[in-house]
Amino acid sequence: MPELLLEVGFEEMPAGWLPGLAEQLRSRLEDAARREHLASSDLEVYWTPRRLVVGGEVAARQADREETVWGPASRLARDASGAWTSAGLGFARKQGVAPEELAEQAKDPAKPEERNLLFVRKTPGRAAPEVLPGVIACVLRGLAFPKRMSWDAWIEDGKGAFPFGRPIRWIVALVDGVVVPFRIHSAADRARGPVLVESGASTRGHRFLPRGRAGVPFEVRSLAELKQRLRDACVLVDPRDREAKIDEGLAAAARRRIADDRGLLVEWRDLVEYPTVLAGTIPREFSSLPPEVLETVLVHHQKYIPLEHDGRPAAAFAAVVNGDGRDGEGIVRGMERVVVARLRDAAFFFDEDRKRPLGDRVADLEGVTFHQGLGSYKDKTDRLVRLVDAMGAGMGLLTRPEHEAAREAARLAKADLTTAMVREFTELQGVMGGIYLQAEGTRWDAVSRAVRWHYHPVSVEESSAPARVLAGFDATVWGAVSLADKLDTLAGYFGIGLVPSGSSDPFGLRRAAQGVVRVLVDFWRVDSAERRPSLRALVGAALAGYGERLRRPVGDVAAELESFLLDRLRYVFVARGFPADEVEAAVGAREPDALEDPHECWLRLQALHRVRSEAREDFEHLAVAFKRAKNILGQGAASAVEAALLSEPAERELHDAVRALAAGQARGSLAEANGGYEGRLRSLARLRGPVDRFFDDVLVMAEDPRIRSNRLGLLTEALAPFYRIADISKLGG
Amino acid sequence: MNLQDLVFALERYWAERGCLVHQPWDSEVGAGTMHPETFLRVLGPRPWKVAYVQPSRRPADGRYGENPNRLYKHLQLQVLLKPAPADVQDQYLASLVALGIDPAAHDVRFEEDNWESPTLGAWGIGWQVLLDGQEITQFTYLQQAGGVDLAPVSAELTYGLERIAMYLQDVEDVYKLRWSAERLYGEVRREEEFQLSRYSFELADVDLHRRLFEDGLAEGWRTLGPPGDRSVLAAYEWCLKASHAFNVLDARGALSASERAGMILGIRKLACAVAERYLAPEASAKEARA
Repeated sequence: MPELLLEVGFEEMPAGWLPGLAEQLRSRLEDAARREHLASSDLEVYWTPRRLVVGGEVAARQADREETVWGPASRLARDASGAWTSAGLGFARKQGVAPEELAEQAKDPAKPEERNLLFVRKTPGRAAPEVLPGVIACVLRGLAFPKRMSWDAWIEDGKGAFPFGRPIRWIVALVDGVVVPFRIHSAADRARGPVLVESGASTRGHRFLPRGRAGVPFEVRSLAELKQRLRDACVLVDPRDREAKIDEGLAAAARRRIADDRGLLVEWRDLVEYPTVLAGTIPREFSSLPPEVLETVLVHHQKYIPLEHDGRPAAAFAAVVNGDGRDGEGIVRGMERVVVARLRDAAFFFDEDRKRPLGDRVADLEGVTFHQGLGSYKDKTDRLVRLVDAMGAGMGLLTRPEHEAAREAARLAKADLTTAMVREFTELQGVMGGIYLQAEGTRWDAVSRAVRWHYHPVSVEESSAPARVLAGFDATVWGAVSLADKLDTLAGYFGIGLVPSGSSDPFGLRRAAQGVVRVLVDFWRVDSAERRPSLRALVGAALAGYGERLRRPVGDVAAELESFLLDRLRYVFVARGFPADEVEAAVGAREPDALEDPHECWLRLQALHRVRSEAREDFEHLAVAFKRAKNILGQGAASAVEAALLSEPAERELHDAVRALAAGQARGSLAEANGGYEGRLRSLARLRGPVDRFFDDVLVMAEDPRIRSNRLGLLTEALAPFYRIADISKLGG
Repeated sequence: MNLQDLVFALERYWAERGCLVHQPWDSEVGAGTMHPETFLRVLGPRPWKVAYVQPSRRPADGRYGENPNRLYKHLQLQVLLKPAPADVQDQYLASLVALGIDPAAHDVRFEEDNWESPTLGAWGIGWQVLLDGQEITQFTYLQQAGGVDLAPVSAELTYGLERIAMYLQDVEDVYKLRWSAERLYGEVRREEEFQLSRYSFELADVDLHRRLFEDGLAEGWRTLGPPGDRSVLAAYEWCLKASHAFNVLDARGALSASERAGMILGIRKLACAVAERYLAPEASAKEARA
């Protein structure tokens, strides 16, 4: 098959978009080619901030196609004399042929006498270069960007104005080295204007390299040649090559392995066409700044990776540049100057902020709006304290000292929003509060820890922050503040109708709800059942905190918020790799249900997953039986089981098995009954045989109403112990 | 290269590329975009190319002349190219070469940074241009101004003159910049920085500025006649005056967040009305003749 090569060259595209765009380009090209009856295969994609490249094999021409169009029945298409009727003529006209060119055939081979008119439309395949311009237009038009811009461009695909991620400046489109014509026009007065970009064989190298001969376009004929010649022109079009060059540079610059690159390496890779790693140092005068501040300046503002130097963390940094690094010293001096200027600001803020105790700033929160309809951060602070009180005094979830510490942490949690440091570096919210409290010598470490981490957890993995920090500490004080903050936010926004929809979640409510779920699933006294909070009760308490401010009936808001939280619980579990049907089953369990105790739900899910993988077939059968049972139970009233009314052997067998199981579980230790879900599931799985036979042999909906309700009672009894672990009917095959 | 030579070099460079070299707007603005030569000229279909220095006041950034990097008033060199030429990035990079910066010997980078001015109802897509990690220019394809979708799209280049000069002169303190062969930046401006910082943080009369804000907006609306009566410039000037009063109040710490948001909205409404009237056909026709 011939080789297709498409390179779209543009002005610098945001790094974070590129991998997704490349994948879209590949799959959209495949799809669009297939829709045009052009097979493609082995498409490879590459990218840099200035180009997307896709190449691979594509069919030389479309396959010839035949389309069958059935017309009216022959007996209606001609009259008795055999002349064409208006129905017959009409069909021919519609197909654009003379009636004589139509065939007649039976639609159903079994009824050869019932014939219909038939037109076979033959479409000869067109050559790939004829079809591809349309494919390219469709692919480029279809690329989805996080944000598009108008650049006064226009393409001739019937849709006209052509916004894109950044302006396109050149296009290489070749089939076996021959240019596929494609044009982008400028839009003049919202109509087609002169040509802006015309496809060709010419690509461009690095903006500034190689020195002395940069910026001259050159022609290529194939993907292999493009890659090679771009390499010669200081563009590593394959992201893996850039990664390798960065790794090499880092190894040389850092003198020691970098444990945590803060996710910067991927971004580095896609910020440049020709990466070179340079390293700079940070003057000793800044070693008194907290490492979090140093890292924020380096990582978030300059995209530099902090390095250990002279035994001090973050006393040096590595940076990637888009060049050969030959004048590295001058570049590094410039970078160091920027870092120093920013750190000077930070040092100034750090000194100024500490002139007032954090507690004095709580009153200033009056002037910081949480949300127009939900009051200031001072109002929020007051609600947080009340919510912590509800957890402590009301629900009895906190001991006296825990309650006292959590209350203090809730009062101080938002105070750092008024500090100069957080106003300048908003990502340090919470962190600075914790640092300032610690510096003041707070009464309890638990308070500064809770303030420091209360915005967490933010991701779904069990091991993510603050798991490591809290290891060895009781997480309750932190957990109470973290929960209160997020639940208050959720209750408020839901209460004024600002609920996330589709991909729009401007207030981060999904993340907040995941945080709530995670505190309860992973952190809150995970080993003791009796003092775990009920999520339902917490939602109620959070909503109560808003009183009159809610603009919707509190019952409606609670129901909506509860189902939203359950959804996020499902999301967290699925994100951890559990199959959706098992998650559904575990979330469907009762007494306590998932809203009452999310951690219990998590234990059940893990048990279900393990036991089901041991006995997959048993669970398939049980799932089928459960679905049947659910249907049947909806059709009549069940009664308490009377053994005397059980007549069929299969129902007596099921009855015995259910009773034996109940007796066995009653004898089991308390620990077994509380958490030993695996053991219980294993023994329940043994009901599969009796349940199967019951459904095979016994007519549940018997004539005699007493027998009928007795059998329904037996089914109810058989199902009940499952429901305390999982709704087995939700399991798929 | 001293600061004034830098200005000469950039103005000459852009003049040679067809830009009219204009003068700063003569009342307080926070950025070069607020100059009518940008805010109004980007509206509608007529091509325009202009460059000018615009002293830009940010009262909240005042540091009494003590911080080596922050200023109450800094200098922007603003270039507006309408429509944005296809080689605008190359033209921009060549302007750096004209300043003696060889991009191959430095790390010159276009990093995503979309500019937005909620007070003007304006936004654009673009980058901050980094020179060895230092932001030296905001490069924006303007998409909207005064709430109006822009066609054609203009390219706006905003050079931060002090930063570029500091880089070129290799100094770490803005006040040590050489402004001319004889004078340092500090000699020219430090006292002004001190006095204006002191004014906006300590002396500014809050009640007066609230009134200036309210009266400014009211006068803007009063002035803004029906389309075609040639009043948009005067109305827009009042919009800018209200905007400056707002900045002073903000620096003074006199505004709650919700009050702040309300005032921004107030300015934006007037700015959008100005843009709409400016574009009304009668107005365009008259202003074209003028």
